[in-house]
Amino acid sequence: MSERQSRLGDLNVGIALLWRVLVRYRRIAAVSIGGALIWMSMVVWVPYLVGRVIDAVVSGSGMSNVWPLLGLIIVAGAIQAIGISLRRYYGFKVSYRAEADLRNEIFTHIQRMAFSFHDVTSTGELMARASSDLSQLRLILAMAPITLANLVMFFVVTVVLVIIDPVLGLTAALMVPALLLTSGRFASRVVGFSFDLQQRLSELSHVVEETVSGIEVVKSYGQQAQQQKRLDDKAETIYDAAMGMAKQRAIYRPLFEIIPALGTVAVLLIGGIRVVDGAMTFGEFVSFTQYLATMVLPLMITGWFFANLPRSAAAASRIDALLATAPEISEPRRPEHLKPGQGEVRFNSVSFAYPDGASVLKDVNLVIPGGTSVGLVGATGSGKSTIAHLIPRFYDVVQGSITIDGVDVRELRLDELRSEVAVVFQESYLFSASIEENIRVGDPMASDDRVRSAARLAKAHEFICEFADGYATVVGERGSTLSGGQRQRVSLARGVVRDPRVLILDDATSSVDAIVEAEIQEALKQVMAGRTTVIIAHRTSTLALVDNVVFIEDGRVVAFGSHDELLETVPRYSEVLAADMGAIA
Amino acid sequence: MKYMSSAGDYKVDRPGRLVGRAGRIAPDLKWPFVGTVAITFVATIVRLLGPLVIKGGIDQGITEGDRQVIVTAAAIFVGLLVVQYFAAAISQWSVAVIGERYLVRLRSVVFSRLLRLDMGFYSRSKSGVLVSRMTSDIESLQEFASEGAAMALTNLLTVIGVAVALGLVDWQMALAVFVVVGVLLGVSVIFQRQARRAYDQVRERIGRVLATLQEGITGVRVVQAFTQEDAQASTFGRVNERYFDANMDAARAISWYFPVVALLRVVALAAVLGIGATRVLDGSLTIGTLVAFLLYLDWFFQPIINLSNVYNLLQSALSAMAKLFELMDEPVVVEDRPGAHDLTEPVAGTVVLDGVSFSYEPDTPVLFDVSVAVDAGERVAIVGETGSGKSTIAKLVMRFYDPTVGTISIDGTDLRDLTERSRSDTLALIPQDGFLFSGTLRENIAYADVSAPDEAVWNVMRAMGIDDWVRSLPEGLDTEVRERGGRFSAGERQLVALARAFLSDPAIIVLDEATSNLDPETEIQVEGALRVLLSGRTSVVIAHRLRSAERADRVVMVDAGRVIAEGTHDELVERSAKYQELVEVWRRGTK
Repeated sequence: MSERQSRLGDLNVGIALLWRVLVRYRRIAAVSIGGALIWMSMVVWVPYLVGRVIDAVVSGSGMSNVWPLLGLIIVAGAIQAIGISLRRYYGFKVSYRAEADLRNEIFTHIQRMAFSFHDVTSTGELMARASSDLSQLRLILAMAPITLANLVMFFVVTVVLVIIDPVLGLTAALMVPALLLTSGRFASRVVGFSFDLQQRLSELSHVVEETVSGIEVVKSYGQQAQQQKRLDDKAETIYDAAMGMAKQRAIYRPLFEIIPALGTVAVLLIGGIRVVDGAMTFGEFVSFTQYLATMVLPLMITGWFFANLPRSAAAASRIDALLATAPEISEPRRPEHLKPGQGEVRFNSVSFAYPDGASVLKDVNLVIPGGTSVGLVGATGSGKSTIAHLIPRFYDVVQGSITIDGVDVRELRLDELRSEVAVVFQESYLFSASIEENIRVGDPMASDDRVRSAARLAKAHEFICEFADGYATVVGERGSTLSGGQRQRVSLARGVVRDPRVLILDDATSSVDAIVEAEIQEALKQVMAGRTTVIIAHRTSTLALVDNVVFIEDGRVVAFGSHDELLETVPRYSEVLAADMGAIA
Repeated sequence: MKYMSSAGDYKVDRPGRLVGRAGRIAPDLKWPFVGTVAITFVATIVRLLGPLVIKGGIDQGITEGDRQVIVTAAAIFVGLLVVQYFAAAISQWSVAVIGERYLVRLRSVVFSRLLRLDMGFYSRSKSGVLVSRMTSDIESLQEFASEGAAMALTNLLTVIGVAVALGLVDWQMALAVFVVVGVLLGVSVIFQRQARRAYDQVRERIGRVLATLQEGITGVRVVQAFTQEDAQASTFGRVNERYFDANMDAARAISWYFPVVALLRVVALAAVLGIGATRVLDGSLTIGTLVAFLLYLDWFFQPIINLSNVYNLLQSALSAMAKLFELMDEPVVVEDRPGAHDLTEPVAGTVVLDGVSFSYEPDTPVLFDVSVAVDAGERVAIVGETGSGKSTIAKLVMRFYDPTVGTISIDGTDLRDLTERSRSDTLALIPQDGFLFSGTLRENIAYADVSAPDEAVWNVMRAMGIDDWVRSLPEGLDTEVRERGGRFSAGERQLVALARAFLSDPAIIVLDEATSNLDPETEIQVEGALRVLLSGRTSVVIAHRLRSAERADRVVMVDAGRVIAEGTHDELVERSAKYQELVEVWRRGTK
């Protein structure tokens, strides 16, 4: 019951969105609808004219009466063609324009949604909103003008048929609901199966992807046969889904020929007898057969339209829901500016919990003096990354406040805050662009020299120069042309080139091997000099670089002091670091 | 593409050869195919009889005023429709069975080829390209099989049938129709060419849109951290607009073609009426024939439009087929030699590299004359800088490649004389990242032996120290690991990979140590599991850490593709300056 209600709700929201879109592009839509109506008003004349020709022939009145009629048919055909052209072109235009504009809106919106939103929303889900859901909507928009004209046509033709001959007219008009229902039912059944089929195709491609990326493991264990079986099983499920669809096709497709043919039989039987009885002319009889033939395709299309409408409305309502979700991090109404300073970061009784409820930080008080460096240490899940992510306002604190040089981060404009607080993530994400462009993301205005010196500091310059294209090397498929360590170094350079007041390194060198890391650490000393730096790291060599260490357990700051101090005074600290001390044989 | 060109024979411009080879993949479907053509033929013939029945009803019934004939004609028509319905339904269904069966076969054949190809092939080819052979290429064949094939067959038969029927009924009117259809064909060719170009562009640009979209979503955190939202949005806006433009190009093509088709249809109608009327008036044609002709006319245009659409599907199906054949023509380099045999049990596990040189690409050798002997049960660490060739040694021992010069042998048997089965029973590789397949934890651990009983799996987990962790999972062993173990941490994945190796109980383990850091607690667990796994087995460890080198029985230092020092850790510290440097760097990282 409630499911049904929500589906009706979806339908309303979705149709409302479709309507808003049509209104937004009303001019283009109007031309398209106008074209459709022109087409319709011409199309309905042709069977009538054919009937008149036949009557002229049967009555033996000679070709002089026939030629003008043929001329009219061709004129109607020509005007009809213009109508089709307008209807199609502007119908496409509305639908593609709406699709493109909505996709831009969705993209911009996604870019503005806070981390908390992206934490719980999968990429696939967002992709679906901006691709398949939008295409679903576009299809319906493109079909709207012709459907409108078709509906008018069914009405007009039914009236004409009934006027010519009430009994035969009503009988023949039965074809309208029969074809509409058949086509609607067919479309909705096939849609279900095609959804299934898509699902299974993507499962199969998972198996392939997995086999290709895990081919070393497959070969190492000699399990080609097992992978083959997995694939064959998936191929078999695809077969089932495809055959499910084929069965519907086999049942319904022939009906689209049989139903109009049954209409023709009715015309032959009833119409024939009425012609013999003299209640109807032979020309009218032929008109009937022509009207039936004219309506077949429009009926099929209209049935398809209404079968797809609920799905499109559901897609539209999903898009609507996404666009209606407000970003959780909002710009301040009356923004302040950062005061001059060294980048002192202060946590005042900060508590934080993720939306799913688990409390992460409890009453954290912390002062990172401007220009100093701190290392955040704690076991997995202790909250150290969260502390780092609160400073650039990726999330807002639940209680308390965070200030930079005395200004609450929530009082600053986001672009100002984030230009002064740079984060280098562990998952070093690179854009598919050149290495240079990737570094310039940190500062689009940076000179070539600055880009290169940042790359040097990050120990990226050497390997970049080894590429044939150097800095212009394009990083493919999410940075996959580079190794994990190389990617981290490019993203480190990106953070360095930003030259922020506060630099946050979130486990930013975890994939770099020990040799390279040692070199980076040398360089880091320069970067850190006089700059507030927050480092999350496991390696003790990194911790030896920082002025202070913050030791965190269960969302609380347990100890604050230099690495050596903590080693001496806090036993737990040594324990947590123990594994990295190389003590286990 | 460069590496996929070995079989350029199968171009789309040789459709005959392509289709011939395609047919040989599933020869057993030949007779079902013939049967399907026959039943489709029946359906078409029966359908074409309809207008002739009407003609009879008109000429002998209506014109003569005989009601009985009209009723009889209607009854015959209904009877024909019943036959037509079943014949058409069977035809639709059996075309689908054949097409879909064929695809099952094709997927299997292509995939099995993919599995046989060697690692050299994999490292040369982009994984995306390989995946797309099995997905988008076969899917375009799928599209043809489910939509195109039935349509092609029925419409082709319909067009031929209607043409014959028109000619038989009245050749003069038929001639007029054929002239118009000739124009239609010409127009369709122009349209198809234009539309194909436009749709190629649409496809390419939607690809860009999706890629940019995905990048914007997966990279959103970096975008926000560096306040690139506006820059991203404007890049996306441009890509998106180009997609719109491509769509509108296609729309323009459609917007002239369909009106022209509609106009031609009316012209044909007028021509038939003009000629027909004249002939009926001079008595050389019955009115029934004219009406039948009008009915046929309606069945002539739509099938031609359909066929021109199918032609597009057919084109992409053929080019997909050509790409698949290229893949299937890739030579298999690493394969069991004739006369390959199994190792004699029990396998001791000695590994000997004797004068091994190797290059991935001609002229750029990676290893030079490497000779290393690993005794049974010995643990040897291979160390060296990034790019020194140490990982290549691991790959050669696994026979992912064959050495260019020299031999690698296990217990004295050349790897190339060993069956693949014996090799994979004897050797296990543990790659850097703990790779997990989707499926349950059990399936992942028992990967080498699907039939392993629960007890064995639990024993393995206990030995690896992950039994408590697995028990703590709500679904225990049946936990779905999701794609690539996305649910588990790097350390947990690593532990599962170790358990997998332990269960397969190989004599020799090749361990490519992970470079990235795990968090300390997990690290301890992994260390413990490794200790259990490696004890009593021969192991070759590609080492990235001091500990691993220290713990090995022997260290082999590789530099620029050559072995430059060999001995225990302590010996090397004394003897090799390069090794000292390396150790110094490692030390700094762990103090």
